[in-house]
Formats: sequence, structure tokens, C-alpha cells
Amino acid sequence: MGFFENLFGGRRDRSASLAKQRLMMVLVDDRYKLTPEMLQQMKVEIAEVLSRYLPAVDAGQIEVKILRGEANDYLKADIPLKRGQPDVG
Amino acid sequence: MQRSNGEHMGRVITITSGKGGVGKTTTTANLGTALALQGGRVVVVDADIGLRNLDVVMGLENRIVYDLVDVVEGRARLRQALIRDKRLPELCLLPAAQTRDKDAVSREQMIDLTGQLRREFDFVLIDSPAGIENGFRNAIAGADEVIIVTTPEVSAVRDADRIIGLVEAAEKGPPSLVVNRIKPRLVNRGEMLSVEDVLELLAITLIGIVPDDETIVTSTNRGEAAVYDHQSQAGRAFLDVARRLRGEEVPFPVLQEQQGMLERFFGIFGRRRS
Repeated sequence: MGFFENLFGGRRDRSASLAKQRLMMVLVDDRYKLTPEMLQQMKVEIAEVLSRYLPAVDAGQIEVKILRGEANDYLKADIPLKRGQPDVG
Repeated sequence: MQRSNGEHMGRVITITSGKGGVGKTTTTANLGTALALQGGRVVVVDADIGLRNLDVVMGLENRIVYDLVDVVEGRARLRQALIRDKRLPELCLLPAAQTRDKDAVSREQMIDLTGQLRREFDFVLIDSPAGIENGFRNAIAGADEVIIVTTPEVSAVRDADRIIGLVEAAEKGPPSLVVNRIKPRLVNRGEMLSVEDVLELLAITLIGIVPDDETIVTSTNRGEAAVYDHQSQAGRAFLDVARRLRGEEVPFPVLQEQQGMLERFFGIFGRRRS
């Protein structure tokens, strides 16, 4: 990181995005009481179920977020699939 | 609003926040004044029993004879307790009791009181106490609509989320949001939550963006609402909130960075935007 970038607020992790990330976690936690352990367990089980139908899914690569929507909250999961696998059907 | 039997029905709107010190009272005073300036008959009610404040913010502290608890307990009639604003004859204040316990009023009494007020006024604005306890619950008991005030800080946003849950559980419908004390310069530098961030987190309808503004300090010192001050960015923002409340489509202006003298002087170099 260049001196000037640093001096004038360069690419350091900005505190606002940090605040937002922390709040995302806290608000979900306040509402759903979902502990990190439960979240991890959920990912493992999601991977288990999906692996029955799709090329092997790695629980460690799943990203799960609970977001607030207008009427409902919703769960958003990013689940990368392994590409270039032979036909599973 | 008119009922089928011809009885006048004003709107009861509670201003609340969860966290203290985010600007509920300032918002209530300015919104009340703005609505009255725009031609509405308005009463602002201080529901923070035991911690009376709306009167000093509006500069009406010397005129108080009776208060909300006197009315509820029958020592005064509503008309006797209402204090008329210094400038606007269509704006009234119902002050909180200062010497009484916060539990001096029940939920039923608040519902009854707001029911009486809405027959006389177009807008009944209730300044809620901080917290999620009885005072808050009383303040929303008679409300048709709820406005939540927050600042772009983690603690205030978190508490706002709690309050949203409670307002929804009380079936008051989705509340609307005022984001107060935005500092555009910090937001541009990525060092303050933006309005978009707060909206994404809280997921309710936005009704106002109020910049952090020194004129709020001076206007509060004088006991005059900032909406009278044409130089006040915050005042203009509150006038916009009032117009949106009345159903007008008012675009949200892009906030200008407020510069200090030194920054203006050195402004030619160094500062990066976005």
C-alpha cells in the first residue's frame, strides 16, 4: 500500500464496511439466535443433501447469510459446484 | 381524514428509536413545526414521563401549567394542558410530567388520550422515550404509524432493528425510517455507514435523510425548530420528511459535504471522494 494512499484513506479495510458486516451478523443473531456452530452444522448438512444430486459440494465453500427483506427475511446461500466433473446422471 | 359519521380523525404517529440520544425529540419538534408550517393542525406529545424534554427543545418550557399525567388523572382538561406554540397557532404541545414516575400512565389511558387528540388535530406526533419497556409500549399503543429514528452507528442500528421487530409484533404496520446525523464526508471516505447500508440492514421504507448539522445545536439552544432556519440543511431535510408524510413524492437530495474552514483552505489537494 502506497504512502499516499494510506495517508489519504487508501485501500485499508474501511470501517463502514466492517460495521456493516458486523451488524449483519449481530442482527441475524439477535433475531434467530443462530450460533456459529449451528451455522457450520447447517452448511455440512446442506453439502450432504446436495452431494446426493450434484457433483461433490464442499461444506467449507458454502456461504450462508440471512438477509432482511421487505416482508420476510430470507436465507441466501452461495454454493460453488465443482465444474468439469464427468456426468453424474 | 373523516370518519363516516363525520367525526374528524387525525393521524397518530409515534417517533421512536430504541437507543437514546439519536434525535427523537429533535425530529418530533421539527416534524411537528414543519407540518404546522405546511398548514396542518398539529399536536406534539411528550410521552417521556419523568424526563420532560420536548418543551425546552421547542422553547415552551415557561408556559407549562398542566401536563399529560394531570390530564390522564383528571386534574386538568385536555384544552387546559395544551400549550400553543409561540409562532404557529395551529401547533400545540402536550408536555410530559417531570415529577412523576414513568409508570404513571397506562396503555389504555394513552389510547384514550390519542383518541381524543386525533379528533382535534390532523397530526398527533408522539415523542417516545428510549428503551423497549412500558414507556415505549405506551407511546406506540395509540399510534397508526411509527417512525423510527436512527443514526449510522452500529449501536443505534442494532437497537432500531429490535424496535422494528417490536413494532411489527404490535401490528402497527411497517414503520418508516429517518436516518439522522449523516456525515457525507465520512460516508464518502467509507468510514460511516451510508443510508443504503442502513436500509439494507433494516429493510424498511425510508422517509428521511437528515445530515449532521451544527445548526441543530444553535436552534436547540434558542428553543426554535431548525425548519425556520433557511441555512439549515437539517431543517430542509425535516421539511421534506413532513411533505413525504403528507403523501408528496419528494426526491432525496444528494447531501453536500459540510466543510470546515481549514478543509476549504486545504481542499485543493489530498481529499479523495469515493
